[in-house]
Amino acid sequence: MTGDYRRFALTRAAQAIVVVLLAYVFTFLIISVLPGDAITNTLRDPQHGLSEEDIQRIVAFYGLDQPVVIQLLLSLGRFLTGELGFSLQSNLPVSQLVGDALPSTLTLATTALVIAIVFAGAIAYGAQYLPGKWAAIVRSIPSFFLSVPNFVIGLVLIEFFAFRLHSFTTTDPNSPVATLFAAITLAIPVSAPLAEVLIASLDHESRQEYAVVARSRGLTEARLFAKHLVKPAALPSVAMVALIVGELLGGSVITETIFGRDGIGTVVQKAVTGEDQPVLQAVVSLSAVVFVAVNLVADLASPLLDPRVKIRETKLKEKVGA
Amino acid sequence: MTAILSNAQLRNVGSASRKLTAGLPPATVILSFAVILVVILWSLVPGLFTSLSPVTGDTASKLAAPSAAHWFGTDYLGRDQYARVVHGTASSVTSALVAVLIGLVVGSIIGLASGFRGGWVDAVLGRFVDVLLAIPGFLLAVVIVSSLGFQTINAAIATGVSAVAVFARLMRAEVMRVRSASYVEASYLEGGNRLHALLGHVLPNAYRSVLVLAVLQFGTSILIIASLAFLGYGDPPPASDWGLLVASGKTYVTAPWLVYAPALVIVVTVLSVNRISRWLRNAK
Repeated sequence: MTGDYRRFALTRAAQAIVVVLLAYVFTFLIISVLPGDAITNTLRDPQHGLSEEDIQRIVAFYGLDQPVVIQLLLSLGRFLTGELGFSLQSNLPVSQLVGDALPSTLTLATTALVIAIVFAGAIAYGAQYLPGKWAAIVRSIPSFFLSVPNFVIGLVLIEFFAFRLHSFTTTDPNSPVATLFAAITLAIPVSAPLAEVLIASLDHESRQEYAVVARSRGLTEARLFAKHLVKPAALPSVAMVALIVGELLGGSVITETIFGRDGIGTVVQKAVTGEDQPVLQAVVSLSAVVFVAVNLVADLASPLLDPRVKIRETKLKEKVGA
Repeated sequence: MTAILSNAQLRNVGSASRKLTAGLPPATVILSFAVILVVILWSLVPGLFTSLSPVTGDTASKLAAPSAAHWFGTDYLGRDQYARVVHGTASSVTSALVAVLIGLVVGSIIGLASGFRGGWVDAVLGRFVDVLLAIPGFLLAVVIVSSLGFQTINAAIATGVSAVAVFARLMRAEVMRVRSASYVEASYLEGGNRLHALLGHVLPNAYRSVLVLAVLQFGTSILIIASLAFLGYGDPPPASDWGLLVASGKTYVTAPWLVYAPALVIVVTVLSVNRISRWLRNAK
């Protein structure tokens, strides 16, 4: 088992590194499809106030006077050493821009994740234990959550809680209450797929023989849920963690714009409007790193958390070997 | 004896009436189809639903609340918001269709090639799909549309590219499932080739799950394209894509209907699409 597990872990880790590198190249190719000489146009925009010397330095740094392949190799080489380059708009190091924005997005995303888990858990519990008609209504909530655009949720929350009830002000987006509502906005679409998986696996587990036996022994539904069903029912959602992280990162662009927060999403939006390619390249590649890393951890953890997953492990190995 | 008879009769009556309703989908599904029909008509023949112009308005009646004359109220130029929603449908919905088509066609080709060829083709295409999955979907769409230029059609292409991976994975899984089935192996023994297996077995088997995913993805695409339009990455005004209407309406705090009307249209449309997708999935 341990030898097998080590081989499985090493193969998965190697795959993960390959995917990150390919994601970098793919992003680079998309971004350099940009028609025209956008990058030097951006540089020469008098608004940025870059001196001719600055421009020459940046052109030399990115190898802009050389073929795309050379630019890619230069850029990839730097990425591997952790160097993310400079923003074309502000001339600040990209790592500084990202570093400054990261705490805000991390706070938002973590709060949103907690809220999403609470929502999903409550929906799944309600779907299982509420009386018939109510359970049916609760079961349709995920589908409803998936149909409402993120920006509509945000605008409705702002309209009611900021403008009518004055629970928070949009001028202070980093206050705890404003952060909470921004997190709810981000959490609602994320909680839906999570709730669907929880509902399905809870349905499955509560039909298992061990649950029937426990009930026949006189265990109340609440104790059965807390003592026996929660753990196995929650395990399939571990595989969804990476997907959720992706949703949180993508959704932060919209949420941060609406609530006026200065986070990674805002950095992305400014980079898109200002055609700031190094910033876009860095943020997208870093998101891919985060996604792949979380996915890797989830994959490596699931055989350890649930002994039944051994089957899946061998399946994966077959796939790798093929 | 009579009791048994009547029981049997009752059962017969029961199954007969069930047969009658069995032909019809549930009421919510019929309602969903009705909504989609209206949306399709809005995009094909907007003139039938409103005689007002979506581009020019009467500034004397600007920011008017919803009324019999203006169902969704008017905006800051006095333009009828209902007319703007109706005329914005074509671009909002067609672009979602384009996105699904791109995801479906490109994804299916990748999935079929992976599943049938196996070996290095599968390994290479598999890594490509992994890469597409590794970049958060919305972020990928944003980068692609920023690279192609801010137009609704580019937003549709971007959304389509970010949908390729799910279709590729589904199609590959379907091929793998059917490929090793004994009736397909039997067809090889009878001299059938790969093309025959593809047309005769894989596609007919995969069609249902691909259709369910395509419908679901249509709803998702409407949302993503609306989000891109909301951020200003679609056609600029006076275009009236649903997402753009919400974005330009949000400046007028005193006229909340400018936000709520198009928002409600988006929600009801996507809700209907998702309902139909769920119905197709369960009708298996």
